[in-house]
Amino acid sequence: MRGSWKIGVIVGLLAGSRPMCRAQTACTTVLAGRILSADTYKPLTGATVTIRQLTTGAVADTAGYFRLSGVCPGNYTVEYQFLGYKSLSQPVTVGSDSVVTMAAVALPVDNQTLQEVIVTDRRSEAQKLLQVQTALSGSALDATRGQSLGESLKGLPGLYAVQTGPSISKPVIHGLYSNRIVTLNNGVRQEDQQWGSEHAPQIDPFLATRLTVIKGAASIRYGSDAIGGVILVEPKAMPSSPGFGGEVNVVAGTNGGQGVVSGYIEQALKQIAGLSWRLQGTLKRVGYARTPDYYLENSSYRENNLSGTVAYNRRRGGAEVFYSQFNTHVGLFTGAQVGSLADFYAAIARPEPLSQPGFSYDLGRPYQHVQHDLLKFRAFLRSERWGTVTVTIARQQNVRREYDVLAFSRSTDPELYLKLVTQTADLVWEQEPVKLAGRGQLSGSVGLSGITQGNVRRFLFLIPNYRNYGLGVFAMERYATARWTVEAGIRYDYRWLRAFFLDESTNAVTARTRDWRNTTGSLGVTYQANQHLTVSGNLSTAWRAPNVSDLYSDGLHQSAVAYERGNPDLKPEQALNTNLSLEYTGQRFYADIGLYTNQIDNYIYLKPDSVPIVRQRGTFPAYSYSQVLASFRGVDATIRYKLTDRLTLSSRTSILFAYDRTNHSYLVYIPPNRTDNSLRYAVGQMEASARKRLSGLYVSLTHNYVARQNRVPAVTQRQENGQVIFTGDFAPPPAAYSLVGAEVGFAWRVIHRPLTVILTGTNLFNRAYRDYLDRFRYFADEPGRNLILKLKLPLGL
Amino acid sequence: MNLLTKSFLLLIPVAMLAGACNTTDEENVTPTDDNEAITTATLTLTSQTTPVQTVTATIENLNTSADLTNATLNLRVNTTYTGAVTLLDKTKTPTLDVSAEVKTEGNEHLLVYTFTPATGSPASLTVMSTDTDTNPAPGPYPIGLTTQVRTGAAGSGKLRLVLRHQPNAKNGTAAPGTSDLDTEFNVLIN
Repeated sequence: MRGSWKIGVIVGLLAGSRPMCRAQTACTTVLAGRILSADTYKPLTGATVTIRQLTTGAVADTAGYFRLSGVCPGNYTVEYQFLGYKSLSQPVTVGSDSVVTMAAVALPVDNQTLQEVIVTDRRSEAQKLLQVQTALSGSALDATRGQSLGESLKGLPGLYAVQTGPSISKPVIHGLYSNRIVTLNNGVRQEDQQWGSEHAPQIDPFLATRLTVIKGAASIRYGSDAIGGVILVEPKAMPSSPGFGGEVNVVAGTNGGQGVVSGYIEQALKQIAGLSWRLQGTLKRVGYARTPDYYLENSSYRENNLSGTVAYNRRRGGAEVFYSQFNTHVGLFTGAQVGSLADFYAAIARPEPLSQPGFSYDLGRPYQHVQHDLLKFRAFLRSERWGTVTVTIARQQNVRREYDVLAFSRSTDPELYLKLVTQTADLVWEQEPVKLAGRGQLSGSVGLSGITQGNVRRFLFLIPNYRNYGLGVFAMERYATARWTVEAGIRYDYRWLRAFFLDESTNAVTARTRDWRNTTGSLGVTYQANQHLTVSGNLSTAWRAPNVSDLYSDGLHQSAVAYERGNPDLKPEQALNTNLSLEYTGQRFYADIGLYTNQIDNYIYLKPDSVPIVRQRGTFPAYSYSQVLASFRGVDATIRYKLTDRLTLSSRTSILFAYDRTNHSYLVYIPPNRTDNSLRYAVGQMEASARKRLSGLYVSLTHNYVARQNRVPAVTQRQENGQVIFTGDFAPPPAAYSLVGAEVGFAWRVIHRPLTVILTGTNLFNRAYRDYLDRFRYFADEPGRNLILKLKLPLGL
Repeated sequence: MNLLTKSFLLLIPVAMLAGACNTTDEENVTPTDDNEAITTATLTLTSQTTPVQTVTATIENLNTSADLTNATLNLRVNTTYTGAVTLLDKTKTPTLDVSAEVKTEGNEHLLVYTFTPATGSPASLTVMSTDTDTNPAPGPYPIGLTTQVRTGAAGSGKLRLVLRHQPNAKNGTAAPGTSDLDTEFNVLIN
């Protein structure tokens, strides 16, 4: 555990210090509500809400909504203020619920008020957008600590994960993943060879205090490609009140002997107001995962991450430098390694892997070693008259090495080496909201973004070297009245891609160049029918230029037992995305129902070719990239009902239908329908108290049901002229499964700080099952029972 | 200084970053390099009876599109041959003798020979390994780099050669492990 001494030193330094910064203790509840004008019932954009006891606050957005995250359980007084209106205060009790929604407040007009309002909290970036979104923060995020990004998001409605064994997990939004999703890591578009279905996003989830997912096309703000959705990894705002702060997280799991230590320390300087810094790091070690009956050999995982931020923020401007490094070694289950199609069929036919060793932390070939470095610079200028201008520039370097099993050579080289260097620059101007005389208000933004990438490969050929350039210009405008909010956006994008190939007989390098341009638009409407019911609709177009692997990949994908051929003539994908969402918030009942349809023209997929390829290891089915008209339709539903003050029933259901309209058949790897239901009971004292040692105790029971995916292409293989021809999948989808889990959580007062303790049990009945979205489902079961202990201790001096 | 000027000042680092990138890296394309290529498989059969007949069949370019022009074994009926396999990786400089590596790590490799007569042909051919590894009991097991090949009736068929990699799993059968080579020689028995 190289590097754990750092955290030890930090703990040692902080243990002797006196507690002071109580307001910074990171608690978990989100307080949400809406501020309106009493005479017009219109939203008061920019109105502030503060918790008197905590001296923290938030600002209402253009629709009057606010969110205050990280509130500890307790009794508080909430104060609402807005220039020109009378202030109001209201008592609120925060229990163990993750979200407390307050009734909308209406502030009466007061011409005497002249106090200036001070913005104290930064709004979430995504909340500025009028789009269907879901987020993980507070206690819900705490409960996922120790998991990868893909696993953490899996619990949200409409989200799934494509896995490659227990160590690789990629997020899926409404059935779309890889290049059809854009991930923003601290405001920078993550570029890490995301085209590969066994390439997990190289992001440390401990960086985030909030994971927001925009479901559906969100191209206008975040660029082309985002036809499936956007994931925002948002870190905690930098500290503003002078003093030290920090947090230590420890996670330990029984399955795989998992151990994670993560923490950060931060300081806002007293000498220079506005200057602050933060250092963060994570260490993760996991050994062989255990299914109910055997260990998965070599499914070990190691991760070392660190990041640092220095920020200088003032009212009228500020700047920030952020650096992060993500370094991982991912072991791949050896039982899934096959040399040929014959081996593959033999492995599928085996009920259990041949080799079943005992537990170990060993990590050998086959494995992936990936290092991702990100350096970001961000600066903004704000003026009451001209609005805010923000510049973000970033450089990312992703080095991926994939090592296969070696049979006879003694090479220490990887089989695949890819180095991708990405530079991005974004310039965004946000207009100061303009109040139209008694008829609502206008707000908007205009932006420019540029990207360039260079990719260098070595060893085996999978994708070529390339250089690309992209440029986008967008404009968005929002008009909000008391009940209606309308938002429209337009974007123009240009993409240029040049790939380089070597003719090995002549040693000549040839280049192929393609470029694309496209305009996309979006229109969103939200109608607040009354204080309980909100209806929103969104219509957007989006496009995605074919990426380098779609166009030029040419090689044996050993782990997929497939020979994949790119198609240099592919056209861009064009998506038309419609979302409709109904949100009802009552005293005891909460419901959020989302309907969506995403029609994608020229949807790129791997089509089985009729003639297999013969190489030294035998015969392989060949696939080439092809295009069809595909549709993705579905329903995401979240329902919460308070049976009693202490007992809450939650239900989340995700239903998805995907169809290939060109060939009138189903698409492969589409997430099956699922429903997750849980009962949560709050025990004893619900509010945190300085005198009580134990507070916020809860017990919850969860049942997850995943249906069998019956809408799959027919699995066939036939002999034709002595050659085997495949269609569909290699094996039928696995059976439906249901899993039972439980969780206990509480806050324990240790050295005057609340230590958050969460004990989670997954797959409690140790059920053997296989998941359709796991690429290793052909070879082995999913992991069995796991008991995970998560501890979180805030620091402060 | 107005906002516009300040915004332009902010863009200077952008220009610096963009200028710092080296666009020539990706233009230097390195050739494909496979750690574990087998380009050439040669089967040499020497008759144990006089007149001594030596038959050689070679398959080239196994790692790309196999060249089968010299892949036919012309054998005599009812004859016993001593067989030897040579596997080479010619993509390496100097050429890597894969069969020597297989011999060194014989405890985890197995060569499997399967003869299939052409449809309707009475041809028969059997292959028996004559080398063994040093696996502990219940081993040792055959490796298959050297063999004894016995022909029967005249006819034609195909001799399939499979190299199995069976780390910590070798048990004398073909089942465990993965294939590193899977190819076929044509056989004519006269």
